Amino acid sequence: MLRYRTLLLLLLWMIAAPCLLNAKQLAVVTDTANPTTNLTAAELIKLFNAHTHNWADGKPVIIVVRDPDSADMELVLRKVFSMTPVQARAFIQAHKPSIVVAGSDDAVLHFVSTNRGAVGIIDLYSLTKDVNVIKIDGKLPVEQGYLLRGN
Amino acid sequence: MNKLLIFTAMAFASLPMSGAAQQSNLLPLSIKSRQVRRLLDRAWVLDSDQGEQTQAIVVMRKVVKIEPEFAMGHEILAQISLDPAEQVSEQKLAFANRGHANASEQTVIEWFQNAADHKLIPAITNMNDVLHQYPQDRWLVFLANSWLMEQTQYERAAAIYENSGLSDSPGLVNNAAYTYANMRQFSKAFSLMDKFVALMPKDPNPQDSYAEILRMAGYYTVAIDHYRAALSINPQFYSSQFGIADTYLLMGDEVQARKEYDAAFKKFPSLGELERIQWRTREAATYIYEGDLAAADKALGAIVDYARPRHLSQVEAETYRQMAMYQPEKQRGMDLLHKAEIALNEGSNISENKTQQEAAEILRTRVYLAIGAGEASAAGSAIAKLARLSMDSNDKVIDAAFNGAVGAELFYERKYSGAIPHLEQDMRSPLSLKLLAAAYQATGYHAGARRIQEILTHFNDPTIEQAMIVPAFRKCLANPACEVNVKNAAMTVSR
Repeated sequence: MLRYRTLLLLLLWMIAAPCLLNAKQLAVVTDTANPTTNLTAAELIKLFNAHTHNWADGKPVIIVVRDPDSADMELVLRKVFSMTPVQARAFIQAHKPSIVVAGSDDAVLHFVSTNRGAVGIIDLYSLTKDVNVIKIDGKLPVEQGYLLRGN
Repeated sequence: MNKLLIFTAMAFASLPMSGAAQQSNLLPLSIKSRQVRRLLDRAWVLDSDQGEQTQAIVVMRKVVKIEPEFAMGHEILAQISLDPAEQVSEQKLAFANRGHANASEQTVIEWFQNAADHKLIPAITNMNDVLHQYPQDRWLVFLANSWLMEQTQYERAAAIYENSGLSDSPGLVNNAAYTYANMRQFSKAFSLMDKFVALMPKDPNPQDSYAEILRMAGYYTVAIDHYRAALSINPQFYSSQFGIADTYLLMGDEVQARKEYDAAFKKFPSLGELERIQWRTREAATYIYEGDLAAADKALGAIVDYARPRHLSQVEAETYRQMAMYQPEKQRGMDLLHKAEIALNEGSNISENKTQQEAAEILRTRVYLAIGAGEASAAGSAIAKLARLSMDSNDKVIDAAFNGAVGAELFYERKYSGAIPHLEQDMRSPLSLKLLAAAYQATGYHAGARRIQEILTHFNDPTIEQAMIVPAFRKCLANPACEVNVKNAAMTVSR
């Protein structure tokens, strides 16, 4: 028996029972000195596809992503890169050193928080105070209609 | 690791502001007396390791009675309590007494206060802030794991467990096994369960957990064996007795399931009210499996009759709503939803948050019924109300209801690409999963469709909605003549 209070206290059985799958919620993060607070979906896609090289304040953009084969990248590849993992790997290879691969969300956070102009995508639930969360189309990751939510 | 070692470890863990705590990277706790320290240790063992949550709650109540300014004690009680009113009142006391807590304890309290206030981003950063300081603290890992499980964030929960290195704490091993099971990584889950059983061979809970995880994986008969093993260790371990009944329900052996429920209710006449209602509802679900909707009405009606004089308004509303879900006649369903709304509005012992959540579920069901009847304007009207609730709340349950309803409406209009992002936000609902699989298929995302179909096929929660959706879905998948991606988009119960 799992000690799992919501099972009993809510009695919303179809809601509270442990589910088999959850939709991902990803956060786009920058270093805390970056003045950018919002990007449109189109700007985000241009940024991560290396079409935008500098932030509004002139700092060079450094992109940090997880391994294209990782489960965490599936949603990003589908919604931001529109690439397969193989295509993404080649793309990253071709755009070194402005795109960096990190092995974990903690590594993404560390890189972003210590490199001015860095931008990364992490699981929302890995978020720390060391980085800024960027709104996409004016929405935070917890809001309805946010771009980087899904499977 | 035996219980003595756990006690020793936790006594060490809860040293007040001591150098030992700082050196060992454990969360320092602002405890004044040895008695409270001992009681806190006892609560840990009971709640985390032995699954005796009710007893742990009693112990934690003693803790905060002895040291009413122990804010972290109030917080732990708020998190383990099964009483919604107590959860709210203890959270308030934790927050009110945070001035007596150290900085790390304050961060924990702010984490849960932010979560209660639906301020998810600060709640997450609070959690990670304190976890980065004390990644090996049992209480913290346990609270984080439990909270993330409630949030259905299994991957993060697993990462925190793995990072903690706490592989010999039975309670954490148990939680981690469920985490992996929910990620459908059953080999890891079974391995952890073997460890849990080995750690506590004379305790029924590991066998009970093992059974539940086997059942989640679809190994029903082996699950029953493990439930019986739990009962052979402790014949009074009622969750295993009911677990056997639940398993027969999921196997589709409704007659045997009812016999087992009946035997369990006779054997355990003094169950807690909410637990009794939970299993009575599951017993009623056996009739839905059989397609005997009149019998289901009768069984669920009895729950309403039980709840009303006891002022269990939330239960009454939920039960009416669940009855509405399977009604073949739309008007009867709408009448039941109206009763659900009355019960909800008359309820005086429900928190505002729970009221809004249930109101959202009622509206979602209104949308389903309206779509089933082809009444687009009624569906649109209910969705507009849901949208307002969702906009004002930032609540995951309400958001899920809204997205499930909008996704269903768009699917019904064959706007599959538009439906997908909404249905993806309602992955706890078998109906939304079913529609999502079909929408993926319709838009050419075949890998996604196959994954969702597999998940739905193995959806083994003994709920009313599962009973309405999953058995029919499994039958359809097994039948080559059934065009699963189209037929299963039907909005009504098909048996």
